[in-house]
Amino acid sequence: MEKINSICIIDDDPITVFGIKRMLKTSIDCDEINTYGNGQLAINGIKGMIENNAPLPQVIFLDINMPIMDGWQFLEEFIKLPIQDRVRINVVTSSIDETDYNNWVHYKDSSHHQITYNNKPIKKADIMSITKLAS
Amino acid sequence: MLRENKLSINSYLVKQLPVATAFLNLKLEVVHASDKWIKLLSFDHSVFGKTIYDIFNPVSEEWETELKKCIKAQPSVSIIQRETVNKKNEKWYNWTNIPWYDDDENIIGVITTVEDVTENVLTELRLEKTEFLLKEKSEIAKIGSWELNLLNDEVKWCEMTRAIHEVADDYEPTLESGINFYKEGHSRNTISMIIYEAVQNGEPWCEKLQIITGKGNEKWVIAAGKPIYKNGKLISLVGTFQDIHEQVVTNAKTKESEQLLKTLIDHIPVHVYLKDLDSRKILINKAAYEFLGASSAEEVIGQSDFDHYPKESAELNRKDDLTVLTTLKPILNKQILDPKRTGSDTTFLTSKIPLIDDDGVAYGLVGLSLDITNLKRKEEELRNLIDVTSLQNKKLINFAHIVSHNLRSHTANFSMLLDFLSNENDEAEKLNIISMLTNASNNLLDTLDNLNDVVAISSNSLKSEKVNFTKTLEKVKQNLSAVLLKNKATIVNNVKKNVDINAVPAYADNIITNFITNAVKYKFPTRDPIITINSEKVDDYTVISIEDNGVGLDLDKYGDKLFGMYKTFHNHKNAKGIGLYIVKNQVESMNGKITVESEVGTGSTFKIYFNGKN
Repeated sequence: MEKINSICIIDDDPITVFGIKRMLKTSIDCDEINTYGNGQLAINGIKGMIENNAPLPQVIFLDINMPIMDGWQFLEEFIKLPIQDRVRINVVTSSIDETDYNNWVHYKDSSHHQITYNNKPIKKADIMSITKLAS
Repeated sequence: MLRENKLSINSYLVKQLPVATAFLNLKLEVVHASDKWIKLLSFDHSVFGKTIYDIFNPVSEEWETELKKCIKAQPSVSIIQRETVNKKNEKWYNWTNIPWYDDDENIIGVITTVEDVTENVLTELRLEKTEFLLKEKSEIAKIGSWELNLLNDEVKWCEMTRAIHEVADDYEPTLESGINFYKEGHSRNTISMIIYEAVQNGEPWCEKLQIITGKGNEKWVIAAGKPIYKNGKLISLVGTFQDIHEQVVTNAKTKESEQLLKTLIDHIPVHVYLKDLDSRKILINKAAYEFLGASSAEEVIGQSDFDHYPKESAELNRKDDLTVLTTLKPILNKQILDPKRTGSDTTFLTSKIPLIDDDGVAYGLVGLSLDITNLKRKEEELRNLIDVTSLQNKKLINFAHIVSHNLRSHTANFSMLLDFLSNENDEAEKLNIISMLTNASNNLLDTLDNLNDVVAISSNSLKSEKVNFTKTLEKVKQNLSAVLLKNKATIVNNVKKNVDINAVPAYADNIITNFITNAVKYKFPTRDPIITINSEKVDDYTVISIEDNGVGLDLDKYGDKLFGMYKTFHNHKNAKGIGLYIVKNQVESMNGKITVESEVGTGSTFKIYFNGKN
């Protein structure tokens, strides 16, 4: 089983969070999974980790449509954070808006993190292939 | 003695003759001479007994020949001779000679008379000249003459008159045939009446009439004439006869072209005008003067734009005129806004072309203006329509995305949960998944309800009506009384009781409910909510502003998403992100708009523009 130190799920839909967690439990060896209901809470949490020198998430599942701070606003803030390691960020969305896809292309090319674009629903096989350390 | 006596008596008689006369004997010596003869030829009484060769120096050959003819009893003719005293004073003499017989019919000499005919000769010359000029004139002007002798009813036509009638040079007209040349009908009737009047009452005449010539051509002529009296008795009618056919035809053609041009200019829907160097109108067509409110061209001729337009636009027009007049280059198809004094603006597509004289100097300009106000208005309407359509289209795409996204996220959840369920053995976990499925199903129903609401706004064309704002607010307050009481909310209504808004009543209820609910829902944690409502009039809108003292909102961050569907900005458990989206749709469906000002920690002010036009 793939061994990941820390995973972070950012989604306002409890069912999606439940689903991802459940699929991760049976396929990935991971001790720490943090979930946040929107981008603002996630940024605050990660900033706290940096301050406390806590281990940062190696894989992030990111929803786009969320209240207060959406997925793109989160990414904008996240790539500004002083994180040396390459983090894998899996955008997971049910949006078919072209704007969202273009946003992904933009962030993918302007950041050193590995960013992927995935449509809901996520299958278990997909989870296994995208829950890896950034390559 | 008797003979001598007889001679002296004769001499005495001859001396007194009233005609300049001399009696010459066969030797051509002067025997007798009248005083007149001596005086006329500037001789004295010493001439008697002298030969003509002695006193005339020289004797003209012609005269000598004639004298000798007389002596030989041959027929003689008078001769006219010129004698030049000086250049200015020339004299003409008429010499006449006859044989001088004695009692026995023997030729004993020549009686010669001389007459000063200078006057006659000059008059004759003048007459010849006058006749010549008259002929030339009549040929050039095509004026002929005629005369009707009333004593014998004889009619005389001059050469030109015959030429005009296109008849042979030897044509002999009569009064009747002359009249019959006039075209049947008006012309012939008129000339008949005229001649009758002239004969009866002595009236002169001058008429433009038509004839049919000998060759059958139709011609316009001016027939003029007058009666001639002698000793109070009418003896003849004389007149002139002028061929004016070419003039009449040319005039008619010119008039026709003029009429055509005038008709054209007056009926094209383009304003046409000529202006002089001072930009005063010297010609204006119907479309242009009617636009200026005049009922005839004369009313505006001589006036400039300063008489019809506000100073600023008249000055702009004058500037254009001067540019054209000085550069001699036309201004073509320029859009010009002419604000009429009555207030309604007109847009013209105007061209101004300089009028240049033979010396290359402008003496005015011709202007052509096409009223394109309606075209501009249509263009404006079209642009608005395109704006509205593209906005609608954008909204529609946005809505399609929302629908698709929401349905997809729910189906994704169903699919995932069902997959879990089918692979789950633990009964407790199974129940957990089923309860989540139920939850997801309820959420889907809610979503569909919300979408229904939105579609209803877009597809229903509910009529706006006058809604009293304060009454609506009171109704909303009534419905929200529990919430308001619980949150200790205060509503300050500064809107006057008589202010009406133009709205769909149900929408008005919902809009006011939403803003008040939001103001309470997002109240500042340590303050009791105070909601202040004001109204003002902005253009066609009645603007209702709803101000709260709540948590406020970072508009830089959320401004563009505030009215989006399923956008929530506060971590509030009741925030669903549908209320403002529906409100916005309702306001826009009534052709209104919403603006917002907000400051985090202080509060927000929403302004709702209700369009009074609908």
